[in-house]
Amino acid sequence: MAEKKQAEKPDFKNPEYYANRELSWLQFNSRVLSEARDKTIPLFERIKFLSITASNLDEFFMVRVASLKDMVNAGYQKKDIAGMTPEEQLKKLNKETHQLVSQQYSTYNRSLLPLLRQKGLTLIERHEDLSREQAKYIDRYFEDNVYPVLTPMAVDSSRPFPLIRNKSLNIGALLKKKGLTDKKEKGGKKDGEGEVEFATVQVPSVLSRIVTIPSNEGETTVILLEEIIERNMNKLFLNYDIICAHPFRIMRNADLSIEEDEAEDLLKEIEKQLKKRQWGEAIRLEVEDGIDKGLLNIIKSELKIAQEDIYAIRGPLDLTFCMKLYGIEGFDDLKVKAYTPQPVKELPAECDIFEEIRKGDILLHHPYQSFQPVVDFIKQAARDPKVLAIKQTLYRVSGNSPIIAALAQAAENGKQVSVLVELKARFDEENNIVWAKMLEKAGCHVIYGLVGLKTHSKITLVVRREDDGIRRYVHLGTGNYNDATAKLYTDLGLFTCSEPMGEDATAVFNMLSGYSEPLNWNKLSLAPLWLKDKFLFLINREREHAKEGRPAKIIAKMNSLCDKDIISALYKANAAGVEIHLIIRGICCLRTGIPGISDRITVRSIVGNFLEHSRIFYFENNGSDELYLGSADWMPRNLERRVEILFPVEKEALKEKVLHILECQLSDTVKAHVLKPDGSYDKVDKRGKAHYNSQEAFCEEAVLDGKSQGKSQMERVFIPEIHHE
Amino acid sequence: MAVRTFAAIDVGSYELAMKIFEISKRNGIREIDLIRRGIELGTDTYNTGKIRNERVDELCGVLKEFAEIMDSYGVDAYKAYGTSAIRETENTIIILDQIRNRTGIQIEVLNNSEQRFLDYKSIASKGEGFLQIIEKGTIIIDIGGGSIQLSLFDKDTLIATQNIRLGVLRMRERLQKLAARTNHYEELIGDMVSAQLQMFKKMYLREREIKNIIIVDDYVSNIIQRKDIFKEATGYLTTEEFMRFVEGIKRKGTNEIAQKFGLSEENASLMFHSVFLIKSIVEVLEAELLWAPGVSLCDGIAYEYAENNRLITPEHDFEKDILACALNISKRYMVSKKRSETIEYISLVIFDSMKKIHGLGKRERLLLQLAAQLNDCGRYISLVNVGESSYNIIKATEIMGLSHQEQEMVANIVKFNRMEFSYYQDLTRENTLDKKNYLTIAKLTAILRVATGMDRSHKQKFKDVQARLHERELILSTDTLEDITLEKGLLTAKTRFFEEVFSVKVSIRQKRRL
Repeated sequence: MAEKKQAEKPDFKNPEYYANRELSWLQFNSRVLSEARDKTIPLFERIKFLSITASNLDEFFMVRVASLKDMVNAGYQKKDIAGMTPEEQLKKLNKETHQLVSQQYSTYNRSLLPLLRQKGLTLIERHEDLSREQAKYIDRYFEDNVYPVLTPMAVDSSRPFPLIRNKSLNIGALLKKKGLTDKKEKGGKKDGEGEVEFATVQVPSVLSRIVTIPSNEGETTVILLEEIIERNMNKLFLNYDIICAHPFRIMRNADLSIEEDEAEDLLKEIEKQLKKRQWGEAIRLEVEDGIDKGLLNIIKSELKIAQEDIYAIRGPLDLTFCMKLYGIEGFDDLKVKAYTPQPVKELPAECDIFEEIRKGDILLHHPYQSFQPVVDFIKQAARDPKVLAIKQTLYRVSGNSPIIAALAQAAENGKQVSVLVELKARFDEENNIVWAKMLEKAGCHVIYGLVGLKTHSKITLVVRREDDGIRRYVHLGTGNYNDATAKLYTDLGLFTCSEPMGEDATAVFNMLSGYSEPLNWNKLSLAPLWLKDKFLFLINREREHAKEGRPAKIIAKMNSLCDKDIISALYKANAAGVEIHLIIRGICCLRTGIPGISDRITVRSIVGNFLEHSRIFYFENNGSDELYLGSADWMPRNLERRVEILFPVEKEALKEKVLHILECQLSDTVKAHVLKPDGSYDKVDKRGKAHYNSQEAFCEEAVLDGKSQGKSQMERVFIPEIHHE
Repeated sequence: MAVRTFAAIDVGSYELAMKIFEISKRNGIREIDLIRRGIELGTDTYNTGKIRNERVDELCGVLKEFAEIMDSYGVDAYKAYGTSAIRETENTIIILDQIRNRTGIQIEVLNNSEQRFLDYKSIASKGEGFLQIIEKGTIIIDIGGGSIQLSLFDKDTLIATQNIRLGVLRMRERLQKLAARTNHYEELIGDMVSAQLQMFKKMYLREREIKNIIIVDDYVSNIIQRKDIFKEATGYLTTEEFMRFVEGIKRKGTNEIAQKFGLSEENASLMFHSVFLIKSIVEVLEAELLWAPGVSLCDGIAYEYAENNRLITPEHDFEKDILACALNISKRYMVSKKRSETIEYISLVIFDSMKKIHGLGKRERLLLQLAAQLNDCGRYISLVNVGESSYNIIKATEIMGLSHQEQEMVANIVKFNRMEFSYYQDLTRENTLDKKNYLTIAKLTAILRVATGMDRSHKQKFKDVQARLHERELILSTDTLEDITLEKGLLTAKTRFFEEVFSVKVSIRQKRRL
């Protein structure tokens, strides 16, 4: 009763009930790091996870931290969802990031490196530790391979401080003209005798960061490229003595134009506010722990970087090289064997896909099930004389995409092919332009996205003229049309030729082609215009049911949850008695366990071999349950600034399948991290519970279902969260 | 092929729309795709009388894309119609030619009644719902950008139709000129509507009760059909429900409405105006039920195509509507019903007996029927210049269901019935009729002249006339006991033209009853 009273008039938007999204993201990265620390996981997979935490963090800095810095510089005071000013956020982030980084390196130094050595892979950390034979090899390697591509740059009064490129690894050094007395001058640039000069050289990114060097039989020894350069520094500056040389790395504020995110509009405003904005301001400096103070001071003052943004690293800078370590041959027993996505029972190889779809909707669960049917769908459409048109949205595609080839083929076969290519897919812009042009050449009608909106929806429409008239075949998915990532990301796809869906799909493409929105949608809900309202409607309907004592439950799975309106709707539903289970891989600004607010809400994050990517939304709706799939997370950017599609799964058998997926993930005791009321995440308390890994279970089910031969296992892969949406 | 793919294009005042249909005998008309693009042709036309070049470019761009979409569906046939914005622009012909050259699409211009007739057909294509609703007093309100059309039903027949220049776009322009505040719109629109409607009410309604209103428009209809706004979303609303809806949006700004209904601001603004327009009409007419069947001109175009190609059988008799309209007009101009019925009867008897010679069809028969009915309407204005006056009345009156060419033909037949026939080659003024149509005018005029000649005394002596074609002689026989000397004597003057046109002699025989 007391709880009920409390629930009567709480302020559901009270910032105390929300978590900061940046800190929540850091927690996510910690969860990934926890995989690197998990002793039950094969060693090389752990190394890979470590590498992922590093690349994740880089992008996080370039995009999110950079935005916060801009806000602070502009004196922007608006508080975030959790009531924190940009300044407060930065401060907290700084602390947390330093902690995360030190955890990364303790994992690297204390667990992974020793284990690797045990298993016969030695990484020589300091060039001073090389054997004579190895040193000889190294020096030879330097002269033959490295020296020709280096560009050493010294700084003096006639040569200004060079532009240090974003994310590049460099070696900074202090030099002294040979034969002069050693009088180190502060600042290093004063004229006169004993002048100490600053010099820097970029560790070339065209060469492999890891160099294998001779070692004992049956062992592998490697050294990092920067160590090789460091050892040979004197060869770069012939008339100088090297006083000291240390690697450093900076992170710059990425170009504003690609920082399209929550802060998008905000940033425009900030741009105006900022009188003069330093181009690509340095926002993080990583240096080797124990770097020469004089050297550090020069770098620090030239880059104008604050003390708190300097990270002293106990180990090699930029751990993304670990991904290269993973690639070293000969350690297969320390890796998880690749899992082969299974054939789809309803769509056997060589079948007429259209005929099979006509028999009823087909659901695909990737990567457990193969993505090939989706590729075949386009391929068959390209050849089929009955097909009139193919329309598709493309966000991220693989390098040598068979889908693009099929689309081009279709256009050459005289089909009308319309493709919406999202050029704004972050960090893929250049890639996208290349194949978009190729499609145009082949005769496709290419639309380059919508002004001000990213097209994030994944939809394909094939229009076919059959004997009894035109029939439309639609594929809708939660993931991109990318055959490469479809092996690593968990996603759902639906094939259908239902008339209402077909009509809606046609309307979607009309809209994307710049025509007016349709008068009505039959089944689909689209962002940015209708989707948020739809979600709020669905959540509120559960609340109404709960109020009236009818069955009400929500299960939702997504990548991130940070939309305030949605969260407060969930809180209200919770207060009315709705049971809510959320499966959120990444950011979650909702807090659990607040009495009367979120005490019926559970949140778990599954971080496993595959990247959890599907978005599934289940609403019990007083017994006539509804299930939706979509491309959108519950984030303002998805709901308000993107074209996203939510589509229902209506066939009972398919609904059961999807619900089963949710239930399995809710029962996961191995890879699930549960959000606790104090805001931290903990692995599921396994006491009294069976060992259950949902991703493994799905693999097994898919193998059984596909009736394929051979025992398959999973490939362990993890993909950065920010980079791939 | 059993299934035909058809594209209907509507070049409207504020929007270009294309619908792709599949039409087959078995499945009827099935809509496959609807493509719309807002483009304000009307603003140019209504303000400056011309469509600017940039707009023409834009128009051509969209039409070109439409052509591509048609290709992508393998469309078998298309029909593209321009309405008021194209019709009222001064450079119509030039623009249409440009469009044809640049896009390959041939746009035909619809006059108002043709356009409304197509809208009307699209409503009728809704079948059951339509037949049921028009059993009671019903008015169709067809809201366009330039004007609105009110069409009145009595029992199940359309009897009158009236165009009022109060289209949403035009109205909005006017209100903007007045720089009225949004919260005054309701009142201002109300005033404009009731001023215009009172006249309509006086002329047509009198003791008639209007129970139902059918709405055809691009904005309110969609809202009424939306499930997220109206629970049932059947398209039917009681007046109370509608008024409640109006109350709900009354005080809202355009952007608020846009947001609430997920519309663009432009559409929200037009919807806002439509809503108040409908509200005012509902109030003046005191209707009880609104029906928004959610059809558009494109549906009508498809219906017409299907009808012409015998892919569907219409459930509603549209010719009956046309005749009812004509009857209503002749009533308004106090034409003697007995006389017009007699002339109509005689005309048709002659027409039917002459089939072999004139080679005309069902539609021409209808035109003759209309001409016979409206033959005397000019008397209302002048007893001397009946022909000219009738011509003008017919030209100026809307007869829904007739093309403007057909209307011109009827007017000419009536005129030449009394005045000397002007031959095609002698025509000097601008003439929209082609030779074929002109020939039809000549033939029908010839028949009508004989028919009116046989009622010279206005006493309906020949109401039981029979006709028989014997070689090159048309024998008209009657049982009448009355004296037909006048008719017989003056007939020669009336048959001269007939003989010239058909090379058939006319003779009258009075059967003697014993």
